[in-house]
This record gives sequence, structure tokens and C-alpha cells, in this order.
Amino acid sequence: MDDKAVLRARDFWTALVLLAVSIFFLIRTTDIPFLNSKAAGVDSAEWYNSAALVPFGIFGALLLLSLVLLGISIRDGGASRALSAVGIGFDADEIKRLSAIAVILFCYIFGLVPRVDFIISSALMITCLIWGFHGGSRTAMLISSVAIALPALYASVMHFGRDQWSKPLDDDWVTLAAFVTVTAVMFWLARRDEAGKTVVRLTPVVAVLCPLILVLAMAFGFRQNVPNRTGLVFKQIEYHYYVTVKPLFQGK
Amino acid sequence: MDFVITQLSGFSASLFTLVLDPVTYFYLIPAVFLGIVFGALPGLTATLAVTILTGFFGNKFPLDQALIALIGAYVGAIYGGSYPSILLNIPGTAASAATAMDGYPLTKQGKGGQALGLTTTASFIGTLFGTFCLLIFVWVLLAISKNIASPEKALLALFGILLSGTLMSKDLVIKGWISGLIGLAMAMVGLDPLLSEERYVFGWSYLLSGFQVVPVLMGAFAIPQIMEGARHAIMMAKTPKVGRIAPEIGEVVRRMPSILRSGGIGTGVGALPGVGEDVAGWVSYGVGKAASKEGHRFGKGSKEGLISAEAANNAAIGGALIPLLVLGIPGSPPAAALLGALKINNVIPGPTIDPALILHVVAILVLASLTMLLMGLFTARVFITVLRIPQTVFLPVVMVLTTIGSFSVGGGINDLFLMIGVGFVAYAMNRMHYPIAPLVIGVILGGLFDETFRRSLLISDGDLSVFVSRPGAAILLLLNVALILSQIPAVKRLGARLRPGSASGPTGGA
Repeated sequence: MDDKAVLRARDFWTALVLLAVSIFFLIRTTDIPFLNSKAAGVDSAEWYNSAALVPFGIFGALLLLSLVLLGISIRDGGASRALSAVGIGFDADEIKRLSAIAVILFCYIFGLVPRVDFIISSALMITCLIWGFHGGSRTAMLISSVAIALPALYASVMHFGRDQWSKPLDDDWVTLAAFVTVTAVMFWLARRDEAGKTVVRLTPVVAVLCPLILVLAMAFGFRQNVPNRTGLVFKQIEYHYYVTVKPLFQGK
Repeated sequence: MDFVITQLSGFSASLFTLVLDPVTYFYLIPAVFLGIVFGALPGLTATLAVTILTGFFGNKFPLDQALIALIGAYVGAIYGGSYPSILLNIPGTAASAATAMDGYPLTKQGKGGQALGLTTTASFIGTLFGTFCLLIFVWVLLAISKNIASPEKALLALFGILLSGTLMSKDLVIKGWISGLIGLAMAMVGLDPLLSEERYVFGWSYLLSGFQVVPVLMGAFAIPQIMEGARHAIMMAKTPKVGRIAPEIGEVVRRMPSILRSGGIGTGVGALPGVGEDVAGWVSYGVGKAASKEGHRFGKGSKEGLISAEAANNAAIGGALIPLLVLGIPGSPPAAALLGALKINNVIPGPTIDPALILHVVAILVLASLTMLLMGLFTARVFITVLRIPQTVFLPVVMVLTTIGSFSVGGGINDLFLMIGVGFVAYAMNRMHYPIAPLVIGVILGGLFDETFRRSLLISDGDLSVFVSRPGAAILLLLNVALILSQIPAVKRLGARLRPGSASGPTGGA
């Protein structure tokens, strides 16, 4: 099946999603005062000045275009192929690979970055992404996804609320353990893999140095905000910067 | 003539100040280097380079200094894309896709070094040409733009989104328009600009201030690249041996008319709202093929073909900055990222922009192109070595850069949630062949469109004729309608029938 046929089958579903989304937002737009906008009994705006005017136009146009897309998809045979896995170009391996990538990114942003030291969580994410996807090994991909999902799940469950994001350090230790473990497993499994040896050796170096240098540059060079300043590693760096290094340079 | 001389003297003063300031080199050299590396690595783009640096510089650095880095990276990245195009037949950026057509055949003929030398020189002249056009035309347009009021602004913003959607679509044109509409819809979130009415906030206070530009840019341009790179990693082939990389001055002088023609095309295409360097490269390549005596050799290792693409995509940089500085409408996706940087520094491009800033931008462009030329000629082998780094190694690093950059601008975790959400949606859209540039341009111009459209109606008491009674607005409305109509199949068929010599009736020619 050619790419265009697959695309039209996917367009069928996309058009339905867009239809649903545009109808939903058109309904939500009706909550914004449009023809009769009064505040405390006083006319506050006419229709042409209403905050709903442009959104009505946008979602109306989106509705129209999704109908056109649906029409094109049906005309080109997309609807008839839309219900078959082959028709929409479903590839189980690709879905697994994509899901693994999505899990790693999702766990990193939603689970780890808000709660865990940025250097440790980034080191884990980098290791998982490089090792999990460089050689195309399914085992590596699976282990990588689990290795990041577990500490992210732990951090999210134990410290869900925003008030608990910064102080406790147990999730930092769990993430650090996950990083050390996944690095050890990577070296163990790659011991006979001559081709991938260079990348495996390089991975922990990149994983640790890259976020470390970035955080140092951002926090102390560029004077920018960095995530989780009370994290396990950053707290130590910040302490020694102000207590040890800075006075040294100031000659105190 | 006096006008040109005044402009040139103002520019010279700005350039002189910049050259004498050591801080310039502190930002410029690493930024151009980083830009070339970003351009050279397939999977990283010029837009991403400018976006990431926008995140780094944020609003905590003086804009003058931030612009040196951002424009330096922009110029470097557009040029850097030519390396893998010429040496590996893999375009480093979309802008250098046309370069591969003749660059790679030249490498196969053992002329990779010559091709790189020629590309470097053509890119340098192309950038200078675009910069000169920027210096001249921006002032002419600024004078005109003083007469532009809300109706024209609204219609111009709409035209930018529609044009970008039309030209950036690889599949159906309506997909580009849908993408632009999604961007516009995203811009509606938060308090509306005239009445402070809440829109689509869903009780989440973070959304009251609307979607922040930098996380949206990062999500739309970085996350899909990272996901695609991990899903379908390009294994870089061994780079071929490259001979001496020289500026090829004789060849360049001989082909100067082609370079200037390509520069003109590149600047013109770049100046179209929302249309980037990639379209400029292809249009110039197509025109070059039709106009050149050696058009039949295009695609087989023609040096003129190579020049046509490269001079144009670099000239498009200057062109893309014209609508950005004059109207606040980005001419290309990297220019959209630059607009994001201006916005977070509270600089509003348009008729009220500080003239010194424009001269500063022009001076940076000249210095950046000179730095690019020197790096291209003397450190090219470093960039060739960079080509060996696998995507799977550098993309996770980009993820960290993106995260920290996005976080530091807004200083909140919510920005990261927004970034990843936009990223997942953008990736899905990419896979379905929806262009992302119109979405980003929609997000950036949505607020302007909403405000100016409603202000026009407010001034006219709801009279829609405000969009036709002013000559500028009438022309823009006509352009918008013509653009939409030109994509409707029935109108296309009618146009084909009416075109002389294409009649297909019984009396029509075969």
C-alpha cells in the first residue's frame, strides 16, 4: 500500500478528531459573552468587540476544513481502509518504539524534572535515550523505558503535591540508583558488542558532563533559573560555590 | 541616492561600534560555530538553534548581546546545512535540500572540497546581498508601514498564516491551513487583549497569561526532532575524502550574475511572511535551471545549480527579517524564534521600532556572515568531523538543552508541561504531513490578529466595510481571498481552462 493511501486513511481519523475538537470548542465559546454582553446591568461590549468573535471564526473555519478533509479522505478511499491495521499503516514495532520514546520523555518531564535533581534526572534520561535507541535492540529499549519509568513513578506517587517537590531527597537517591543500575546493565550487555562499544563508553560521560556543565553555566554563568535547586547534587554545588569557591576568588 | 548614503553611514557607525566591542566576539564566534554545527547535524535545524539560544538568553541579558548570538546562530545554521547535503546527500536542514541536488554529485566526482569552497563563498555573498536589501527596503517599508492601521495589520497577519500554510504543505494545502488555525486557536487561550475576558482557561491560573512563546517554539520544533531521531536514527555514512577547501574566487566572479539573481530571489521569497529559506532555495534552483545556459547539467554536479540554491537560502535570512522588523510578522520559522526573543524582551517590531536596533541587526548580519566565511574556509574539517556524531547521541543532549532553556525563560515547571504537550501534538502532526511552521506563526500572530481585527470593527462600529474602504486593506483582502480561491480545485480548473493555449475543448489544441 502506498504512502498516500495510508495517509488518507489516517486523515479520516484526524478529520473526525478535528471535527470533535472544533465542535467542543465552539460549544465552549458560547460561554464567552457574544451577542448580549452585560456586566452589572450595563452593556459592556457589542458583538463585533466580543472576545468570542475571533474564536467563533477560528473554530468555525476549523470545522469547515475538517469536513473538507473528511470529504477528501472518503473520496480517495481512506474511509474504507481506516478500520484495517494495514490501511492506516499500523506497524507494531514502530508503535512500541514510539511508545518507549514517549514514555521516556513523559516520565522525564512530568515525573523527574519537577521532583528530582536536574543533573541526576537528565543523566538517567540521556542514558536511556542513547542506549535504548542507538543500536535498535529491543531489550535495551525495554530496559531503558522501565529504568526511567520506575523512579518517575516513585517520585510521582511519594511526592505528588507541589509542596513536596523540592524538600525530600529519597526520590533523588532512587533516581541515582536507577542511573547507576542502567549504566551497569548497559556495560554488561555490551561487553561482547564490538560495534557499539564506543557509544556505550561515551554514554555515561555525555550523560553526566552535559547536564552538569549546562546547569553550572546556566545557574552561575548566565544567572538563569534552573529546575529543582534543592536537589541532591545541585544543593551541594550551590553550597560550595557560595561557601568555598566564591570567597576563595574574593580573597576572603 | 542621499537616502542610501545616509543609511550606509548609519550602518557603518553601528558596525564600527560592534567591531570595536570585545563582547561581540565573545558571543558571535561561539554562536556562529554552534549554528554551523546545528545546521550540519541532520535532525537539528536553524530554527532549533535560534529557539534554544532564545531560551538561554531569555530576558536576563541585554537584547543587543542576545541578538548577536541569535543572528550568528541563524546565519551559521543555514550555511551549515550544506555540509551533509554536499558530502553525504543528507540535507542538514530543509533549507539545504536543493544544495544536495548538485553538491553530492560534485563530491562523487571528487570535487567535494571545491563544492564546499564555492558554497561558502556563495553563502557569504548571498547573506550580504540579503543584508543590503534589508538595510534599504526596511526603511522604505517602515515609512509605508506608518500608514498601516488595524485593518491592514489584521489582514496581513491572516495573509502570513495562510501563505505559510499554503507554501509549507507537503501534502494537501488545507493541512497547512488547519495547522495555522490550530496555532491561532492556541493564541486565543488566556485573557483576551481588549476586554480581559477569560478564554479556555479551564480553571488553570497558568493559562490566564496564555501560551508562552518559548515553550511552544521548543515543543513544536525540538520534541518532534528528538522523537523522530530516536525512532528512525540516520546512521551517518563515512564522510568522503575532501580536497582543498578554497574560496574559488575566479569561479565566483564568473558566476556573479547567477549569485546576484539567486540573492534577489532568496531575499524576495524570504520576505514573504512565513515562507522560509527552504522554499527560497528550491525556487532559486528552479529559476536557475530554467534561466541558465547549463540548465541541462543541473542535478548532475552543476556548480551553477549549487550556487543557485546556496546563495538564495542565505539571502533569505535578510529577506525574512524585513517583515519581522517592519510589521512584526516573521518571514521564516527561525525569524519566528527571533520574534519570540524580541517579545520576551518587550520589543515590539513595527513602525515604532528603535531605528538603532535595525542598524544593529544589519551590522550583526554582516559580521556573522564574515565569521561564517572564515570558519567555513579555515575550520571546515572540524564540521566534517562533527558529521560522524550519531543522532542518537546528540538528540538526548538537545532534550536537556530544550528543557533547561524552556524552564529558565518562564521559570516554571508548567512551561515544561506545555512544551512536552505541544511537542507530542506537533510530532503527531508531522507524521500526518501537517507543517509545523504555520502553527507556530499562528501562535505568534494570533494575538495581533485578534486585537487588530476587533479594534478595526470597534472603530467602525461593526461596519465590515472597514476592510475594503482603505486601499491597503482592500488589496490585502483581495490577496487573502485570491490565495484561498487559488487552492480550490474548481477554481483551479476554471483558471486552467481560461488560460490561453490550454483550452481542452474541441477547438483547443492538443
